[in-house]
Amino acid sequence: MLLAPALCLSVAVVLAPGLMTAYVAFTDWNGVSLSMNWIGAVNFEKIFADRVFWKALGNNVRWTLLFLTVPVGVGLLTAMLLLKRRRTRTLYQMIYLGPYVLAPVTNAILWLNIILNPVSGLLRHVRHLFPRGSPLAPLRSPLGNPDTALYFVAMVDIWHYWGFLTVIYLAALRQTPQELVEAATVEGAGALHLFRFIYLPTILPTVLLTFVIITIFSFLTFEYVYIMTGGGPAHGSEMLSTYAYTLAFNAFQYGKAAATGLVMSAFGLLASVFYVYMSRREASA
Amino acid sequence: MHRKPLIATLLLVMAGGLAVAPLAAQERTEIQFWMWGAGPHLQDVIRAVLVDPYNRSQDDFELVMEFRNDVDSVIASVLPAGGGPDLVYGSGPAFVRPFAAAGHLASMEPYAEKYGWRDRILTPIYEAGTVGGDLYALPNSLNTMGVFYNKVLFAENGWEIPATFEELEAIMDDALAQGLYASVTGNKGWRPVNENYTQLFLTHWAGPQATYDAITGRIPWTDPAIAGAMRKSAEWFQADYLAGEDYFNLNFLDAVSLLESNDAPFFFGPSLVFQFATSFYSEESGNLDNLGFFPLPSRAGLPSPIFLLGTTASLSINAYSPPEVQDAVGAIIDRMMTQEFLVGMTEGWPGYWGVPISSLDVDLDDFSGLSHGFLSAIQDAIAAVNAGNFGYSPSTFFPPATQTAFFDIDSVWLGELTVEDFLANVQTAYEEDKAAGLVAPVPPPGMGG
Repeated sequence: MLLAPALCLSVAVVLAPGLMTAYVAFTDWNGVSLSMNWIGAVNFEKIFADRVFWKALGNNVRWTLLFLTVPVGVGLLTAMLLLKRRRTRTLYQMIYLGPYVLAPVTNAILWLNIILNPVSGLLRHVRHLFPRGSPLAPLRSPLGNPDTALYFVAMVDIWHYWGFLTVIYLAALRQTPQELVEAATVEGAGALHLFRFIYLPTILPTVLLTFVIITIFSFLTFEYVYIMTGGGPAHGSEMLSTYAYTLAFNAFQYGKAAATGLVMSAFGLLASVFYVYMSRREASA
Repeated sequence: MHRKPLIATLLLVMAGGLAVAPLAAQERTEIQFWMWGAGPHLQDVIRAVLVDPYNRSQDDFELVMEFRNDVDSVIASVLPAGGGPDLVYGSGPAFVRPFAAAGHLASMEPYAEKYGWRDRILTPIYEAGTVGGDLYALPNSLNTMGVFYNKVLFAENGWEIPATFEELEAIMDDALAQGLYASVTGNKGWRPVNENYTQLFLTHWAGPQATYDAITGRIPWTDPAIAGAMRKSAEWFQADYLAGEDYFNLNFLDAVSLLESNDAPFFFGPSLVFQFATSFYSEESGNLDNLGFFPLPSRAGLPSPIFLLGTTASLSINAYSPPEVQDAVGAIIDRMMTQEFLVGMTEGWPGYWGVPISSLDVDLDDFSGLSHGFLSAIQDAIAAVNAGNFGYSPSTFFPPATQTAFFDIDSVWLGELTVEDFLANVQTAYEEDKAAGLVAPVPPPGMGG
């Protein structure tokens, strides 16, 4: 009985829309019509035959790998450095969290208009150092190139995100028993050995959890890409989320959009299963 | 001081206020009208020309406007749920067609008959707003593609307004050689801008007849005439005629700014760009005469000038609004479909309110600056449509998946996709639209107003 409110809420907010999405993925619903027809797996066949879907999936995988390495590495490194700075680490954490507490739309607009705007941004001023057309002035916005757009958008998102990981990892590192650290230090362990054999085992559950969260959110990522490139140019930064958005809101193909949404969810589910498996293995060890 | 009488008095006043407030609110029924998030100075213009006069003109309804940047996606979510504004603003007849087909929009036939819209509105535009023979949407403005040009650079370089593609390209080559942009434009923040450049080449290179044949299924989208137009667009992009790689990092506002600062001779854009020009060209700056507009020349063998027939947005009536509110919305739309409204809005907000009336009887000498430029463009466009010289805008005439498939033209420009594969995708999308019953009737080329 006590669980009823939470259960009702979960069914209404999570389960019902989830089941509806799964059902719509097998229909020809256009999102506005009052009727829909069951068409089996046709939507999946169509998106799997679409090169843009595979491009978007590849970009999502690239994005996930970038986020599992760059911000995690930088976050761990800065957290380790801050661990020794007892008096100033609060100040540093506040500074690092600055981009994270700003809304994604603010961050994206800031980069687009203050840094990369060819009319009034930093790009224009730097470009004007070289005469236009000279070999030394190929300076273009990385967002204009399909080979670099994804990485630049990811860089902006990482710039916004790594400070958060620093704070999380620092909190976890501070839970390491000091007697272990002191004993290892007395035994002559260097910084690398301390990290490998003392700190890392302590924070491993936290790191694993952040891996799962990063993987789930990497397959859901939308705001930065949508605002900065809209998935372009030439689908160079297309993600499954922007692909689904275009299908739903431009082409009125909600069935295909729902099918894409299910694929996105499958990757999140995979990450969650991996996390549960690792947690159980750790608990039984 | 005695506090009890004071408190009692205060309570009485508050109770009285609470009792009167609902009565006051009940006097007028609200009519909701949401549109995109225009700038505050532009919002003031429509309030002064439409909202305030309408609210003063009667005592039953209160027209309330909300400005939202995400109006399209919000409407797509709330309308099927039986909600949303009473006066439904959409991205154009093509956008609202699925909503009309699903019964979320009210038929505007009774109002068309009552107010005589069929006779007052340009026929091809009127037809574009019909579904199954009934009217469901009227555009708020004609929107035609043309060439904004920098008169200062033209004077300095002795350039003449080009009459052919070759002359146009020669000026752009000259500009590039001088270290200028050949033209400025871009799709930053709004990828559908790409369709401006597919429609430009469909109209002025493939021609209205080939485009009409493809929209109506008489020829496939892979037809050589269409393929030739797409190839020409790629040739232009690769020659840096469309702002080069900066295309992806400029929006219309940036582009007008660069045009004004003598960084480019041209901006190929829709006539709605006049509204962005208000931020850079003004009496105070003394540069109002520096901006010109002319229709794009056509490929040899096609009539010239051809005006691309497009719309900026559309106005419809929510099927779930009460009947008396629907009647009031019909009356408001009728107020807007007049020369008086067109002129009133254009004086403060040029570029966005060239309502598609079949004749515009104004003396251009009575107007100056951007209003003059926009009215002149609209007057020419109306004359061209009446003469049957018009092309087809995707947002007005193409079904939704086909329209979306054309956004992908940047993949062709950047060499990621061949023209053949791109058009095969367009054809697949068209067949899906056709199977879903979303291909609308299209006025044939040559159909007068």
